[in-house]
Amino acid sequence: MIKAYILVLTYVGNLKTVLEEMRKIENLESIAVVAGDYDIIVKVEVEELEDLMEITNKIHSIKGVKRTNTQVIEKEIRE
Amino acid sequence: MRIRVRKKNLFYLLAITSSVIGAVVTVIDTYISLEYNINPWSLCLVIFIAGIVITFILSVILSIPIGGKPLGARIDPSFPGLRLLRKEEVPYQIMAGMGNAIATVGYFFIISIYQDPSTILSFFEVVILYLLITESIAEKNAPSMAEVESSIIVTFGAIMASFSFTGGLNLKGLLIVFLVLNPAWVVFSIYQRKLKLLRINGRHNDAINIRFWNLFFTTIFTAILVYFIDTKHFFAAIDALKYWPIMFLSMGTTFFSYIFYIRALGLGKASVTQAVKSSTIIFSIPLSFLLASYIPLSFYESIPQLVIKVMGIILVIMGVISFALTEVRAYIFIKAKTGHSSTDLINDIWAIKGVTAVAAVAGRYDIISKVRMRTLGKGYERIIRELEEINGIEKFEWHSILKEWEEI
Repeated sequence: MIKAYILVLTYVGNLKTVLEEMRKIENLESIAVVAGDYDIIVKVEVEELEDLMEITNKIHSIKGVKRTNTQVIEKEIRE
Repeated sequence: MRIRVRKKNLFYLLAITSSVIGAVVTVIDTYISLEYNINPWSLCLVIFIAGIVITFILSVILSIPIGGKPLGARIDPSFPGLRLLRKEEVPYQIMAGMGNAIATVGYFFIISIYQDPSTILSFFEVVILYLLITESIAEKNAPSMAEVESSIIVTFGAIMASFSFTGGLNLKGLLIVFLVLNPAWVVFSIYQRKLKLLRINGRHNDAINIRFWNLFFTTIFTAILVYFIDTKHFFAAIDALKYWPIMFLSMGTTFFSYIFYIRALGLGKASVTQAVKSSTIIFSIPLSFLLASYIPLSFYESIPQLVIKVMGIILVIMGVISFALTEVRAYIFIKAKTGHSSTDLINDIWAIKGVTAVAAVAGRYDIISKVRMRTLGKGYERIIRELEEINGIEKFEWHSILKEWEEI
């Protein structure tokens, strides 16, 4: 099981449509709209690295996405 | 396709659905106690025996695969079908089963010795505060002041709404509630939550298996307790099984109330879940009105009592709303200094109150942490100040979450 955070930056004025498209993508554990250097933080849980690439590709193909930054989780502690 | 919803909305939806179904159970149970002449001890046992049978039947039905997934996955997406108990669940189930059995026997003990136990039993609502205290001691995320305030409002409201003027108050009854019933319920709630948070085969544990196996242990412990209290009650319980249709109705409905309750426990704190579940009192009123034409149910004995009841209900609603209102969440991206162990660093960050997840990542940052707090001010006081004290952090970036959807 591979988990990762994908940090997404969008072009101004595209946030709503990007979110709508993003909510259609499978295997996304959570989608958060944030205020900061990035606009959206997506958490992904996939079986293989190849699946992660597929999701990243899908996000890239959404109109309005400017840049993404993928952070693969090596170790996680959570509630 | 799986549904993505806002976690907070889902928590309240589950807890309130559980309360509405719980209100139906309250009305059915009132009907049983008025219409059937079963002594409280036997009723206590027979309801569990009938409960385990109907829960097994319902769980088997919910295990039938439809469209590649068990039917029950529509109620709890983690449900893989009825399965055997896992080794890691056994100690938690034993504790939850004992808690449930002792709380139930305590409840029936009060019913068996007092003619009108409603005044004494209304103090069961104080269990919210017990849970709050337990969480303050045992859990990493101690309740905030706002949660303490809301809990007190809900508890007092629930006591007022269920208080009866006719029933007497006495020390023995109150001691049973405060020293037996409430602590046992705390054990039951806390261990059910622990079970829900367990991961089975890499996925969240499901509410249906938790409920089935909990009833299994509860029935065993209750049977032992009732047998030792008086063997004749034990055998009278077996005889009372002839009323199985109404018992099945009561425990079948209870099953669904618990499924939603256990799912809510997996999303929120036990104290907050219990507080939201107190709204059962409110939902049981219209249902009692509907049934009043068939069975003799009374809502209030006097106008002052009605006034207090209404005030109590308003307090419960206000308290639940104030729970739901304020919560701020954020992601913190952390860059570590070279030469520091990332294991130590994530453990140091995890020790900060309010941190709900911390992950060592490979990429532009070294650690991504998720935090939860009541206000941004608290976030500064509690989280940023402590982060700044940790040796090994080069810099961090704060991203406040404005809106979030999660997979359920």
